[in-house]
Amino acid sequence: MPAVGDVVERGAPARIGRLRRWTRTLRVAWWLGWQVESNWTDPLRFFTYAVARPLGGALILYFMYRVVAGVGRGAAVGFFVIGAAFWPLVVGGMFGMVLGVIGDREHWRTLRYIYTAPISWRAYLIGRALAQQTSSLAAVPITLVFGIFVLQIPISPGTVRPALLTAALALGIVSAIAMGTLVVSAALSISGEAWRMPEAIGAALYLLCGVIFPVQVLPGALRTASEAFPFTWWLEAVRRALLGPGGVRSFPAIGDGAVLARLALLAAAWSVAAILVFGFAERRARRLGILDRESAF
Amino acid sequence: MSAGPARAEPVAPRAGDPQAARGFRRALRATLGRSYPRIIGSNRDKSWLFYDTVLPLLGTVSFVYVYKTFGAPERFLAYVIMGGATTAFWMNVMWSMAAQFYWDKQAGNLELYMVAPCGLLPILLGMSLGGLVATTLRAVVIVAAGSLLFGVSYAGGQIPALLLVFAVAMVALYGLGITFASVFLMWGREAWHMANTFMEPVFLLSGFYFPVRALGFWVGLGASLIPLTLALDAMRRLLFPGAHPALLPLAAEVGILAALAVGFAIAAWVSLRKMEMLARREARLSLRF
Repeated sequence: MPAVGDVVERGAPARIGRLRRWTRTLRVAWWLGWQVESNWTDPLRFFTYAVARPLGGALILYFMYRVVAGVGRGAAVGFFVIGAAFWPLVVGGMFGMVLGVIGDREHWRTLRYIYTAPISWRAYLIGRALAQQTSSLAAVPITLVFGIFVLQIPISPGTVRPALLTAALALGIVSAIAMGTLVVSAALSISGEAWRMPEAIGAALYLLCGVIFPVQVLPGALRTASEAFPFTWWLEAVRRALLGPGGVRSFPAIGDGAVLARLALLAAAWSVAAILVFGFAERRARRLGILDRESAF
Repeated sequence: MSAGPARAEPVAPRAGDPQAARGFRRALRATLGRSYPRIIGSNRDKSWLFYDTVLPLLGTVSFVYVYKTFGAPERFLAYVIMGGATTAFWMNVMWSMAAQFYWDKQAGNLELYMVAPCGLLPILLGMSLGGLVATTLRAVVIVAAGSLLFGVSYAGGQIPALLLVFAVAMVALYGLGITFASVFLMWGREAWHMANTFMEPVFLLSGFYFPVRALGFWVGLGASLIPLTLALDAMRRLLFPGAHPALLPLAAEVGILAALAVGFAIAAWVSLRKMEMLARREARLSLRF
C-alpha cells in the first residue's frame, strides 16, 4: 500500500522520470479510489454490493426472455448475461473519473489541493477511473459463473477465445477512460447538474450500444449512431470471444478481425478527442476561474 | 448526549386542547413548507424535463427494444413503460427520501431540522408529499411519451379502481420511504451505496419489466413486501383485463396494499423515534463521511 509521501519524494522529483511520476500518481490515485469505493463497509457487504446490481440486471433480462419465449434457455440469454456483466466496466470507468472531479470538488472539497499538488491531474483521474473499474470487474466472473451454472448460457472452454477477449477488454477499458475524460470535460463547465450528467450519458449509451439487445433492432439513424461508439464493438467482440459462433450477434455479417479493428480505431479516435477536449475544458475552466466552483448541492 | 427537548408530534388535536391544536398546525405548516421546494422549487429549473423524464425514458426504451427483439405482444411493451414510470417513484423514495438525510448532513440542513420545533416526522411527510406530486407529474410524462413513441394503448374502463390502487400504493411506498429514512439516518457513506444496491434487485423482485408471477407464486408473494410489486401487478391487470397473469385476486392485492400502508405508517413512526434517539446517542447526526 503506497504512502501519501510516495507521490513526490522530497528532493527526488528531478531524478524521477516523468513517466515514473505519472505511473506513481496513477497507482496512488487507484489506491485512493479503491479506498473511497470499498472501505465504507466490511468485505462481505462490499462483495454483495458489487455483484447485486449486475446479477439483478442479468436476471431481469432472463425473466423478460422467459415470459415471452416460454423457456429459460437460448442464445439470447448469453447475450443478456454478457451485456449485464460487462457494462458496469464502462459505467465504472466513466463514473470513477467523474467522481474524481465532482466528488473532490463538491463533496470532499479537495479538488483545489489535488490540482495544485505536483502531480499529473490526468494520471490521478485515470487512477480513480481504474479503481472504480476494478470494483466493477470483480462482479464479472461472478455474473458469468452464475450465468453458466444457473442460467446455462453456452460458455465453455471450447467457445472462449482468450486472445480476442484480452484485446477487447484492454480496448474497452481505454474507451471507457476516453469517454470518462469527455464527460469530465463537460463536468468542468457545469456545476448544478454535474452529478446527474454521467447518469444521463450512461443511459443514452445503454440504449445505443447494444448492451441488452442487438443494435440491428434500432431504427436506422440510431443504428448508425451506435456504430460510432467503441462500446458497441467492444460488447460485440467480448460476446464473440466468450460465446463463440453460436451466440446472438449485433453485426452477423462482419468478421471478428474487422470487429476488433473497428474497436481499436474507435478507441484511438475517442482517446485523441478526449485528450483534446479535456485540454480545452481545463484551460477554459482555469481562465474563467470555475475549476473548483461548488454548486452547494 | 441527552435525547433533547420534547417535540411537538403531528397528532390530531383533541377538542378543547389549544396546545395540541397549535402543535398540529405547526406540523402541518412544516409539512407544507418542506414540500414546497419539491413541488414549486424543483420546477423552476427546467432541467428536470431532461433529467427526470428523458433519462428514465432512455432506460425504459432500452427494455422496450429487448421485447421488440423477441417480437413480444404489445402489452409487454406497456409493462416496460409502466415499469419505467414506476422506476421514477422508487428512485424518488430511495434517493430523495431514504438517502435524503445523508444529503442534508452534507449540506448542513439536518442540524437545522433537528433544532426546528416541529420534529422530523413533518419534515419527512413534507418530503413525501412534495416527492409524490413531483414524481407523479414526471411519471405521467414518461407513460405518455413512451406510449406515444411505441403506439401502446391501454384499456381505460377501470380508471377509478386504478386510481385507488395507485393512491393506496403510494401511501405504503412513502411510508416505507420514511422507515428507510430513519434507518439511513444512522449511516454516513453507506447510505449512498445502500441506495445504489436497492436498484436492480428491487426492479427484479417487483417485476418492473415483466409480470411478477414469472418469479413463482411464493417469491412474488415475498416480494409483495415492496408495495410497488402488488401495485404494478394490480394496475397491469386493470389496464390489460384478461391478458395479464396476475399474482393474486384484485381484492386481495388491494387489501394487502392497504395493510402495508398501515403497517409502514406505524413502522415509520416507531422506527423514526427509535433511530433518532439512537443517532443522537451515538453522535451519528453530524457524521458526514
